Amino acid sequence: MLHHNVKKAEAISFSEEVTCRHGGETLTACYQCGTCASSCPVARLDSRFNPREILKLALLGEKDEVLSGDAIWLCTSCFNCQERCPQNVEIAELIFALRNIAIEAGNSPNIYADFGGALIADGRIVAISKFVEKKREEFGLPPLKPVGVEDLNKILEATGFTKPEQKEASK
Amino acid sequence: MEQPKVGVFLSDCGKQLSEILDFDALTNFVKGVPNVALIARGSEFWRGKGLQTIVDAVKTGKINRVVVAESITKVSDVNIAQAVEDAGLNSYLVEVLDIKDHCAWPHRNAPKEATEKAKAMLLSAIERAKLLEPIEKLEFPALKSALVIGGGIGGMQTAVDLADLGFEVNLIEKQPFLGGLAARAGRFFPTDDCAICIQPPSSDVKTITHTSRKCVYRSGLSEIPNLNILTNASVVAVEGVPGNYKVTIEKKPRYVDADKCVACDKCVSVCPVEAPDEYNANLTNRKAIYINVPSVYPQIYTIDEDACKFKDCAKCVSACPTNAIDLDQKPEQVTYNVGSIIVATGFKEFDASAIKEYHYDNYPDVITNLELARMIDSFGPTGGAIVRPSDGKPAKKIVFVQCAGSRDRRYNPYCSGICCMISLKNASLIKEANPDAEVSICYIDIRTTGREHEYYYERARDMGIKFIKGRPTEIYADEEKGKLIVDVEDALLKRFLDLEADLVVLATAMVPPEGTAELAEILDIDLEADGFFKEYNAKLRPTETKQKGIFLCGGATFPKDAPTTSLHAHSAALKAAKFLNSGKIVKDLRTAIINDEYCGDCEFCPVMCPFGAITLEPTTENHFVARVNDLLCEGCGVCVGTCPLNAIELKNSTPNQMAAQIDALLSVNGTSKPLVLAICCQECGHTAVDSSGMAKMEYPANVRIIKVPCAGIVRVNQILEAFKAGAQGVMIVGCKTDGCHYEVGSEKAENKADSAKVLLKEYGIEPERLEMFKMVYIEGAQFAEAAQMMTERVAKLGTLKLMGDS
Amino acid sequence: MKRFAIFLGCTIPARQPNYELSARKTLEKLDVELVDLDNFTCCCPAPIQSINLESSQAIAAYNICLAEEAGLDIVALCNGCFESLAMANAALKKDKKLKAEINKVLAKVGKEFQGTIEVKHFLQVLIEDIGLKKIQEKVTKPLSSLKVAPFYGCHSLRPSKLLQLDDPERPQIFENLIESLGAEPLEYRNKLKCCGGLLKGISDDTALELAREKLANTNKAGADCISTLCPFCFVALDIGQIQVKGKFQEIYDMPILHYSELLALALGVAPEELALRSHKIKADKVLEKIA
Repeated sequence: MLHHNVKKAEAISFSEEVTCRHGGETLTACYQCGTCASSCPVARLDSRFNPREILKLALLGEKDEVLSGDAIWLCTSCFNCQERCPQNVEIAELIFALRNIAIEAGNSPNIYADFGGALIADGRIVAISKFVEKKREEFGLPPLKPVGVEDLNKILEATGFTKPEQKEASK
Repeated sequence: MEQPKVGVFLSDCGKQLSEILDFDALTNFVKGVPNVALIARGSEFWRGKGLQTIVDAVKTGKINRVVVAESITKVSDVNIAQAVEDAGLNSYLVEVLDIKDHCAWPHRNAPKEATEKAKAMLLSAIERAKLLEPIEKLEFPALKSALVIGGGIGGMQTAVDLADLGFEVNLIEKQPFLGGLAARAGRFFPTDDCAICIQPPSSDVKTITHTSRKCVYRSGLSEIPNLNILTNASVVAVEGVPGNYKVTIEKKPRYVDADKCVACDKCVSVCPVEAPDEYNANLTNRKAIYINVPSVYPQIYTIDEDACKFKDCAKCVSACPTNAIDLDQKPEQVTYNVGSIIVATGFKEFDASAIKEYHYDNYPDVITNLELARMIDSFGPTGGAIVRPSDGKPAKKIVFVQCAGSRDRRYNPYCSGICCMISLKNASLIKEANPDAEVSICYIDIRTTGREHEYYYERARDMGIKFIKGRPTEIYADEEKGKLIVDVEDALLKRFLDLEADLVVLATAMVPPEGTAELAEILDIDLEADGFFKEYNAKLRPTETKQKGIFLCGGATFPKDAPTTSLHAHSAALKAAKFLNSGKIVKDLRTAIINDEYCGDCEFCPVMCPFGAITLEPTTENHFVARVNDLLCEGCGVCVGTCPLNAIELKNSTPNQMAAQIDALLSVNGTSKPLVLAICCQECGHTAVDSSGMAKMEYPANVRIIKVPCAGIVRVNQILEAFKAGAQGVMIVGCKTDGCHYEVGSEKAENKADSAKVLLKEYGIEPERLEMFKMVYIEGAQFAEAAQMMTERVAKLGTLKLMGDS
Repeated sequence: MKRFAIFLGCTIPARQPNYELSARKTLEKLDVELVDLDNFTCCCPAPIQSINLESSQAIAAYNICLAEEAGLDIVALCNGCFESLAMANAALKKDKKLKAEINKVLAKVGKEFQGTIEVKHFLQVLIEDIGLKKIQEKVTKPLSSLKVAPFYGCHSLRPSKLLQLDDPERPQIFENLIESLGAEPLEYRNKLKCCGGLLKGISDDTALELAREKLANTNKAGADCISTLCPFCFVALDIGQIQVKGKFQEIYDMPILHYSELLALALGVAPEELALRSHKIKADKVLEKIA
């Protein structure tokens, strides 16, 4: 259900919350022309996701609806919409900003907990096993160099990186 | 110079002011001021008997300077000045102060303090009056002639208006034929009738009716004796001043003698060369010798230089029965002397090739509205049939795409304003002629803001035209179907549509035509950020420019529909006529004066002058000095405030005069509060003070007002001087940045306030003692609030200690 | 000899030896020296940007600093790495305020972003630093008669304002590179649309549908193979075919080859020297055609 006609007081502060954020600055330039929607490879396959609709909801301050649903996680980050937006709305980056807010609120698909955990532990998001290292040797590839995990974690800390929560399997 | 003899006239406005102010004390105070030759009290001095008192005193020679304390000074000032001038004294020797709105009313609850302030105001006015100098007027003949640049519907109508009024008019058009964009559009909303029709000139002796309108070719335009039409012509240079311009025009050869050609078509029938017909959107070919459509003006053939084989062919030369063809014609330059110039260069369609995802450049069946209009026109390349340019087959499915390059920050951020109506018109014309055609319009917002315009939208829906709210992301070719596909989301249904189309029509943005920037440079007028010509004031002076002899007409300032272009055309004609009508230019010499001794080799003032009135001229010793053109100078004083060498003064706003006024204003306090000086520009700043007083808003009497022509005149050192003279705080009150009457003055003043703050700090003065404010007339409350705030702020800081004070 | 710091990222070393191997071999043959630097981390692509944009930008900047210290430009093989690093590099070079913010963070690990190096895509190095002419000259086994559907992927081109690899609507460099090997680049519908790779694990059906559409379109255009620039696109289209077969009973048998692999073959590298066996859809068809 959409509540487009209702403009709530706290709603306005949500659009402000978004525009104050890294990546969210261009939200209010959106005039709902729908170029993003027709540019989107996902929207026509999955009705849960429509970038124009997400921007509208964010503009109207429908915070819960934007953050709690599946929609924002269905963007492929292909930047097609952003490339063609006539208002230079940085839509793909806006989606990142919305995801950042959702994760801070403890709301994200489980796969992000895996990404976050791997990054913190290894400094990479795909693990290198002993098997892989052996295989590399077979192919004549050079041994992998050490990863700056320590520095990376200092940076994560300094930038307020929140590790996404792993939810119960029941979800 | 004659010793100043000041007459001081104190009005109590029907006793109301004397209930607040102590008039006896004021009279006594004024009596003691040197050079005061006369004091008179009365009920009012700006009309009737009171004004006669002033006139009599002037006529008898008893006084040669006039100071009047009055109310509603912005009105009374003019009346008094005129009467004084009529009485034989230069009107610039009058100083009027508003003791009601600037003193009695806002300080009515502190009558003692108000009386002391009134004393300071009177003293300031008297000191200023003593230093006032008479100002003469410049007067010289202006040519009763005009140049109109651009022969579209705007330019033509302006030209006819001016010609009707008796001016000598030269109308020049870049193209070989008149008509501009309008001619190609075929039909116009909101009447659906021919685009190319105008009101005929009054010299048309056979049409003396009121209601007549005529096609251009039969309008008699060409036969108006005082209208000279030049096609294939463009401006290459302009010299001179308003009222007397010398314009150089380059005329490309037509290769056909206008006086001999009888438009018989023989040349066209023998011409072997074909070239794409750009007038008809390249949908067809024309010969190298051609006219656009049968009804054009002039009905004289022209030769396409790029296509013609000239001497290698010359078939037309021998075919012409009147020997009109002259392949040896060369470009020529002509000069005209005109009093004013009207720019009517219109607009053009944006090149939609830039929007790569729409494929205008490589899909022949993606066209623009203007190209479609050529197809709709029965004179056009398809005789009115709507076809697919790729194969000439009838177009059954037509999709319009709105805002192609408009409202798009990548290209043109503005709404072109007319494209919705153009698409509605064209879509309806197609549907009317081919009811079976499937016509859709993809839009972001439909904008139909004009009388009858909404009806077009209604009619279009009624005709079965489909409206899809959504801007397509791309147009692609489906080769199997042999159609174009318009990929769009209907936002209202949240449904993705792949609209099949035989023809996609882009409602492109409208942009300035080529050569706009160059013309602006030649004419020394400004462009807006959108690339169109900038009007002097968008709200009140939409057809004027910063150059008083140059006017704007129609689409030159922004895309316009025909009704608005007509309005603009008539307005531009009226403004030009008003300017030239008396045959002379009269201008006061309240202008900037350069002190050659100090001036030298910098470029601040010529760059800063909003009116281009200052140029640099070489001196004998290899230096440059500034020269002010008295005709162009508007007396704002921005140059004065800009000059780093203090080499410029503005007559009757000299530093000496201002210092005398400031000293006087700060010489009497009478309150326990710190004195605050408010330097107000005479436009918005000073009227905000008026309006706060008129509305009886209160602020403390320690705030003293001095009026300057523009906040931009203030120099940093004057601010420092004001503190030395006893000000504890200084306010600068100017217009809003965008609304400054002298364009840059308010902004410059703000910059200066910022740099003054830095200096103040160095001198040990708290920078908060200085503040710049920007307000307009209706913001009297803001003035009162600012005055109150500054008083409190300065009081909190305590008494100012200047270096050297003990 | 031009030297670059090679940025492998996470996926390529772990899962796509075929890409790394062919890239290393071809660049060596084209006289480019690759340097493996210590301490490179994950580039922080979209999945990490989704968690925290600022952290991602700072870590991208950290990696750029490592190359700056070595005085080397970066060559990235993976579209994701290229995008993360090139975007950060461009944004930080352009925006002084952002640079100051990020440098405040980097100071905690003793680094400072200077803006002295370039981040280049593998493709870009081929075009800008080696040149089509040299590649043509070095081709010993032209891939004549091979019809190749180029698949750019998203993050090589977009956001174009920051990446500036080529015209985002009508890019040409991949096509030109295919031509330089003697092969024919093909046009097909939705060439520039997403492979769906980043939706894996979030919405597998949609991800697969996007891959399937590319397979169908390239197949219809008559492609002998699809050429990719990115490990994610490769996986989506290669392994994707197994899934498409399972779910829709559609068999495309469309070999997917990284451009580096095609290049290696054209430069005369023996197929056995490339890790072609790690492809799910075998490249035999292609090898036969060019033999």
